Amino acid sequence: MSVLRWWSGLLVAFGLLVLLRIFLPLPFNNEIIIFSIYVIGCNYLLGRVGFISFGQPAYLAVGAYGTAFYLYYFGGNPYVGILVGIVSGIVVSALVGPLFVRLRSDYFALVNLALAVIIFFLMQKVLASVTFGDNGLELLTKMDVTPILDISRPDQFWVFAFVSAFGVWALYKYLDDSVFGACCLAAKANEDKLRFLGYSNYGIRLMAFVVANTTTAFAGALYAVHQGLVSPEMSSPARAADPVVVTILGGVGTLYGPLVGSIAFVGMKDLISKVFGHWELIVGFLLVFVMLAGERGIWGSLEPLLRRWILRQRETDKPVVADAGVKAR
Amino acid sequence: MSNQILEVKGLNAAYGESKVLFDVSIAVRDKQVVGCVGRNGAGKSTLLKSIAGFLRPTAGNVTSEGVDLVGRTAYAIAGMGIKYVPQDKKVFSDLTVRENLELGSYASGDYNWDPVLAFFPKLKVLLDRKAGYLSGGERQMLMIGRAILGKPKLLLVDEPTEGLAPSIVTHLKDVFRELSKSAALVIVEQNLPMICGIANKIYALNEGRLVAELTDPEQIRPEVCEPYL
Amino acid sequence: MIDPQLLLSGVIFGLSMGSVFFLMTVGLSLCFGLMRIISLDQLLYYSVGAYLTYSVSLAVGNVWIGALAGVAVAGATALFVERFVFLRIYARDITFSMITSFGILIGGIGVIKVIWGLVPRPVPVPIEAQWNILGTDVPVYRLAVVVLALLVYAGIWLFLNKTIIGKAIRAGIEDVEHVEGLGINVYRLFTLTFVIAGALSGLAGGLHAPLIMVFPDMGLEVLAFAFMVVIIGGLGSIKGTFISAFLVGQVVSIGSLIYAPLAQMAPFAIMLLILLIKPTGLYGSAMLKR
Repeated sequence: MSVLRWWSGLLVAFGLLVLLRIFLPLPFNNEIIIFSIYVIGCNYLLGRVGFISFGQPAYLAVGAYGTAFYLYYFGGNPYVGILVGIVSGIVVSALVGPLFVRLRSDYFALVNLALAVIIFFLMQKVLASVTFGDNGLELLTKMDVTPILDISRPDQFWVFAFVSAFGVWALYKYLDDSVFGACCLAAKANEDKLRFLGYSNYGIRLMAFVVANTTTAFAGALYAVHQGLVSPEMSSPARAADPVVVTILGGVGTLYGPLVGSIAFVGMKDLISKVFGHWELIVGFLLVFVMLAGERGIWGSLEPLLRRWILRQRETDKPVVADAGVKAR
Repeated sequence: MSNQILEVKGLNAAYGESKVLFDVSIAVRDKQVVGCVGRNGAGKSTLLKSIAGFLRPTAGNVTSEGVDLVGRTAYAIAGMGIKYVPQDKKVFSDLTVRENLELGSYASGDYNWDPVLAFFPKLKVLLDRKAGYLSGGERQMLMIGRAILGKPKLLLVDEPTEGLAPSIVTHLKDVFRELSKSAALVIVEQNLPMICGIANKIYALNEGRLVAELTDPEQIRPEVCEPYL
Repeated sequence: MIDPQLLLSGVIFGLSMGSVFFLMTVGLSLCFGLMRIISLDQLLYYSVGAYLTYSVSLAVGNVWIGALAGVAVAGATALFVERFVFLRIYARDITFSMITSFGILIGGIGVIKVIWGLVPRPVPVPIEAQWNILGTDVPVYRLAVVVLALLVYAGIWLFLNKTIIGKAIRAGIEDVEHVEGLGINVYRLFTLTFVIAGALSGLAGGLHAPLIMVFPDMGLEVLAFAFMVVIIGGLGSIKGTFISAFLVGQVVSIGSLIYAPLAQMAPFAIMLLILLIKPTGLYGSAMLKR
C-alpha cells in the first residue's frame, strides 16, 4: 500500500503527460519533456542545496556536444551518443565541481554563468574547425536506425523521452526521501550543524552538484538527438535565465514544479510569440510578479491546495469506514 | 496618557519558527535604571531588539509615553529618543572615531560633543584614529558616546561590560549613574555587582519568561540575583 | 612580437573598455555592499542610457546632451524600480534579488524591443578628432571616456569620504543595522545609492553607444563581463571594481591583438584562476551579513 502511495504522485503526473500527448502536437510534447529534465537539475540546486545557477546552459551544451561529437565523428548509434553525453556531463561537473561548490552562493551563480560563456566561445570560435561555429553540427543524417525504438524519429523519440523523464523523476523523488536529500536540505539551512552531525558539507554539495548537472547534460544529449542540430546558441548567455525562470515559475524545491513550469513556459513562449511577438517582456515581468507574489510559483501554490483537498476527501471517506467497522462489530 | 517612559505588555517574539519570548511585561519610569538579568539564551537581547524595532513582536504591546512603538521602523524609534546599544561592540571600523560621532550627530541633529567627551575623555585623543584599531573598552565608549548624542530619553544597553577590564567597568558604572540623571536606562547585564550597584529595579528572565521582578532596594543585591543566572 | 603602434592603440582601446566596465559595475558593487542585493537590472539602465543617447542625439544633434538625457532617464527608471520592486525585497535572501533583478532585466529588454525595435542603431562619435601620440592616431573620444570614468571614480571617492551621507553609506556597508540604530533612515540611503548606481550605468551606456551599435540585447551581451569585473574585484569594493574593470578591459583588448578568440575567453580564465586562489575576489569581504 505504501509502495503504491510512493508511486501514486508520479503515476498521476506522467498519466497527465500522456493525456497532453494526445491533445497537443508532438514537437510541443517533446520540447516540454526535454525542457523539464533540463530544469529539474536547476530546481534541485536552488530548492534543495540553496545554490542558484545562471550557468545551466553550460552543462546543457556539454551533454549536447558530447552526443554530437560522438554521432558526427565516431559512430551512429543515438543511444550510445546519449550515453556519451551523460558521461561528459559527469566528467565536466566532477572537474569544475570541487572548485565551484566551495564558493558562496552569489559567486556560485556568477561563476556558472562565466562557464557558460567560456563554453559558448569555445564552441563558437576556438573549436570552430570541429564544431563548424554558428552553423552547428548537423546530425540528422548521421544517426543509425535503431531496432525496437528508433529515436531518430520524433514519435518514437517521445516514448524514449517519456520513459527517461519518468526515470529521472523517480530518481529525484528517491533522492528527496533519502538521507542524502535530508543532508542537502540541512546544508542549505545550517552548514555548521550538518558538520557537527558528522557529514561533510562539501561532499554533499559536490554530490548534489554532479547529480543535478549530469541531469542537465542528459537533457542536452536528448536535445541533440531530438533537434538533429547542435550549435553554440544552446549555451548563449542570453538564454541563461530560462531554467531559473522556469524553476521559479513552477515552484522552487517542488518535485513537479519543473514539469508544470515547463508546460507553462513553453506554452506561453509559443503563444506569446505567435500573438504578441515580445515574449521576453511577458516572461521577465511574470518572473518579477511571481517573486513578489510570494515566490512559490504555480505548482508551489497549487500543491498545498491539492494536498488539503485530498486530505479532505480522505476525511470524508474515513467516518464511513469507521462506522462500517462499528456496525460489523 | 501614561507617564511610563517604556511599557511592555504581554510581549511575544520569535525568530522564524522558534519562539523566544513569552508574555513578557516590563515598565520603566523616567530616570530609572532597570537591570535585566538571566542566563544566556533567556531572551534578554531579544527583548531589547523587539523594543528597539529590530525584531517585530508576534504579539503584545510596546509603548513609550503612550505612543505605540510596535510596527515602527528601528530608525524611527531611535529618532524618538530610544537608543539601542547592541552587544557586539561593533563600531564602524573603516571610519574614524570622529566620523563615527559625526554619524551620531547627523542622526540626532545634536552637534554638541562636549558631554560625550566629558564622559569619555579618552575619545578626545583618539578622534582621528580608525575605529577598527580601538580596544574593546574604547569601542564600548564610542558606542555609548554615539548613542547619547541627541540626549535620548531611554537607553537600551546590551551587556556593556562583557569582556572589559575592571577599571573600565567601574568607569562605565559611573557613566551610567550620571546618565540616569537625564535619561532612563535598561541594561542587560551578567555582572551582578555592577548592575546591582546602579539599578532601581531588576527583572530576571528565564527561557523567555519573566521569573522575578525586584524593586525593593534591600533585594537588589548580587546574592539575591545569583540564582537567576 | 606585436607592432608597438598596434599595442598603443590596443592599450587605449582597453582603457576605454575598462572605463565603460567600471561605470557599468560600480553601481552593482555599491548596491551589493550597502543593500546586500545583486542588482542585475543595472545592465538594463545601461541599455536605457544607450538608447536615450541614440534618440535624443538624433533629435537634438548633440551626443553629449543625449548622454545626459540617458543618465537622467536611467536614474529615473532606477528610482521607479527601486520604489516598486526592491523596497519589498531588501530583507530577503540575496538569491531573491538576483532572480528578481534578472526578471526586470529581461522584461525591460522586452520593453526596449517594443519601443525601438530589433534593428541595431548607430550613434555618431561626438569628438571626431584624432591625436597623434608616438606616431599612432588615437581617437580623442576614447580618451575623453577614460577621463570621465576617472572623474566619476574621484567623485565617488569624495562623496563617500567627505560628505556625511557618504560616510553613512560607508558605515552601512560595514553594518547597516547599526546605522539604523543611530536613527538614520537607511531606506533613504538605499534609494539614493540605487539611483546613483542606475545613473552611472546609464552613463556607461551613453558613453559606450558611439563606440558600438545600440541594440536591444546589448545589456545581455556585456552581462558576462559585468559579472566578471565584480567577481575579480570582489563584490562590494569600489577600489576592487575599479582595478578589475581596467584589468579586464586590457585583457580583452590586448588579448584580441594576440589571438582574436582569446579576447572573449581570457578574462574568464583569469577569473577562474583568481577565484581558485581567493574565493571572494581581490578586495571582496569574506563575510556576508543578513
